[in-house]
Amino acid sequence: MKTKKNIVFGLYDDEQDLLKAVKVSNERGLKIYDVYSPFPIHGLDPLLGLKESRLHIVGFIFGTLGAMTAFFFMSWIFKIDWPNVFGGKAFLPTPAFIPITFELTVLFAGIGMVVTYFIVNGLSMKAETEVLHDRISDDKFCLAYDVTGTAFEHTNAYESLLNDTGATFVSSKEMSDL
Amino acid sequence: MNQFTFEGKTRSMLIGGIILGVVSMLLTLFAGGEMASTRFWSNFLHNATFFLGIGFMAAFAMSVWITAWSGWFVMSKRVFEALASFMGLGGIFMLIIAIGNYAGFHHLYHWADAEAVAGDPVLQGKSAFLNKHMYLLATVAFVGMWWFMNKKIRDYSVDEDTNGRFGDFKHMYSTRKWAAGYLAIAGYSSAIIIWLWLMSIDAHWYSTMYAWYAGSSWWVSMLAFAILIIIYLKSKGALPNLNEDVIHDLGKFLFGFSVFWTYLWFSQFMLIWYGNVGEETIYFHTRINEYPFLFYLIIVLNFPIPFLVLMSNSNKRKMGTMVFTSIVVIIGHWLDFFLMIKPGVRHTAMEHLAHAEHATAAHTEGGHEVAHEVVEHVSHFAAGFTLPGFLELGTFIGFLSLFLFVVFNTLSKAALEPANDPFIEEAKHHHV
Repeated sequence: MKTKKNIVFGLYDDEQDLLKAVKVSNERGLKIYDVYSPFPIHGLDPLLGLKESRLHIVGFIFGTLGAMTAFFFMSWIFKIDWPNVFGGKAFLPTPAFIPITFELTVLFAGIGMVVTYFIVNGLSMKAETEVLHDRISDDKFCLAYDVTGTAFEHTNAYESLLNDTGATFVSSKEMSDL
Repeated sequence: MNQFTFEGKTRSMLIGGIILGVVSMLLTLFAGGEMASTRFWSNFLHNATFFLGIGFMAAFAMSVWITAWSGWFVMSKRVFEALASFMGLGGIFMLIIAIGNYAGFHHLYHWADAEAVAGDPVLQGKSAFLNKHMYLLATVAFVGMWWFMNKKIRDYSVDEDTNGRFGDFKHMYSTRKWAAGYLAIAGYSSAIIIWLWLMSIDAHWYSTMYAWYAGSSWWVSMLAFAILIIIYLKSKGALPNLNEDVIHDLGKFLFGFSVFWTYLWFSQFMLIWYGNVGEETIYFHTRINEYPFLFYLIIVLNFPIPFLVLMSNSNKRKMGTMVFTSIVVIIGHWLDFFLMIKPGVRHTAMEHLAHAEHATAAHTEGGHEVAHEVVEHVSHFAAGFTLPGFLELGTFIGFLSLFLFVVFNTLSKAALEPANDPFIEEAKHHHV
């Protein structure tokens, strides 16, 4: 059973308006729940205090794994399992392994990062996500606050901020944990 | 601080370095030994091509960025202009080598020896291209063109400071014409000149990837020098508007092009290894068997170190890490040039000596053995040929000091921040 959250949100027409709103929000000390945008916005991450993604560490680990898989698998085939002479080369022709090692490094890193990303974000074919507003994946920029259990007079502070900073649409919605 | 002043300690240190270089070169020439002259001239060629190439690539980088409407590099463009200004002096050095082919200063090139060519069908076949006149012509014409076009770009850039104004694109459009012209000419001419200056040292051998491979060595070293000079200037409090995002981007270039160099190095190696044609494999056979330490050291310095150190985002923003990697990469590529030049030069000189001995001893019974013994020397260790000795280090410091002297001198001639460049605001707010 998922807990319900009460979200207050505002939609902006322009990403610059959203950036200004985030700055004002930080000045007033209001804790932002999340920001939704159809595309990445320059300079938003530091304002929201987001840490650098650790996804590239996963990429490095999977890449190393791919490199080792390719190299040792080929070494095992050509040196131990089925030694064969190709073009007068040695049984362990390492230079010939490098291109395939490179390819598998890229393949493992790429697929490993995608799979990790899907798992971490709980994405699967059966995943269903409630959307705050239909147009946040189209042309609107959304700033959302979690006001679950907040008294009415404080909720007002969020709404007035959204109105002050030029949100073209302000609303609230009750939804399960995003 | 918008004006770099080149004086005091830095200046005297660099002059000291130049004197050290001159002393090292004189010692090399007069320290004796039958290979002294060859050692001197191969060091001269090695450093002259290395630093001239860095200047050439700085102008090439600027031309690429100007043609591509780049704004981010504009704050650092005086550094690239300064690096490119070494082309004039470097061209004079190469002219000395080109004239040396006629005057017989040196025996760097096998194909320059008329007697050797006469008895060698391979060299005869190449003689339409590999000859003294072509060498001189290409050196004068190509370096002259590079120098002239770079001078135009630089002159417009400096003139913009005084005669340009906000919203005036006249200088930029003129610069773009020269930059585009430079790209068109430099792309082809650099390959031709690398064949003549470097690849023709191993006159019988050729590789279609060689020009790219040597060129990428120049390019990576140029990036490393640009990073070092920018960090040096920033440590002096200059270029306050150049933010660390620019250095981050140069770090990405250094990372990317180190991988690019490795790709070319390895492709050249693997194709030759796979093909297994005797006249091609001799190049790597010599280098792996007689220069194993350098051969593997170069790969370690130029690939795993920049690759692993610069891989993470935050490392490209740490000045200490960037300085360390840049220095490693410069040393790595300098050694790479060492290994391109020395084995071939040594072989040519040995053959020449053997030939001379043979001529004098031809009428004695032991003549053949004497000649044979001299050729056998090739596989023995010799400082300055098998590994760089102290004299090579001194020569390198000399050329490095001269190079930096020219660069700092050019830097001090104009304001560090090109105030009227149309892209200056974009450069100030560059963000990755």
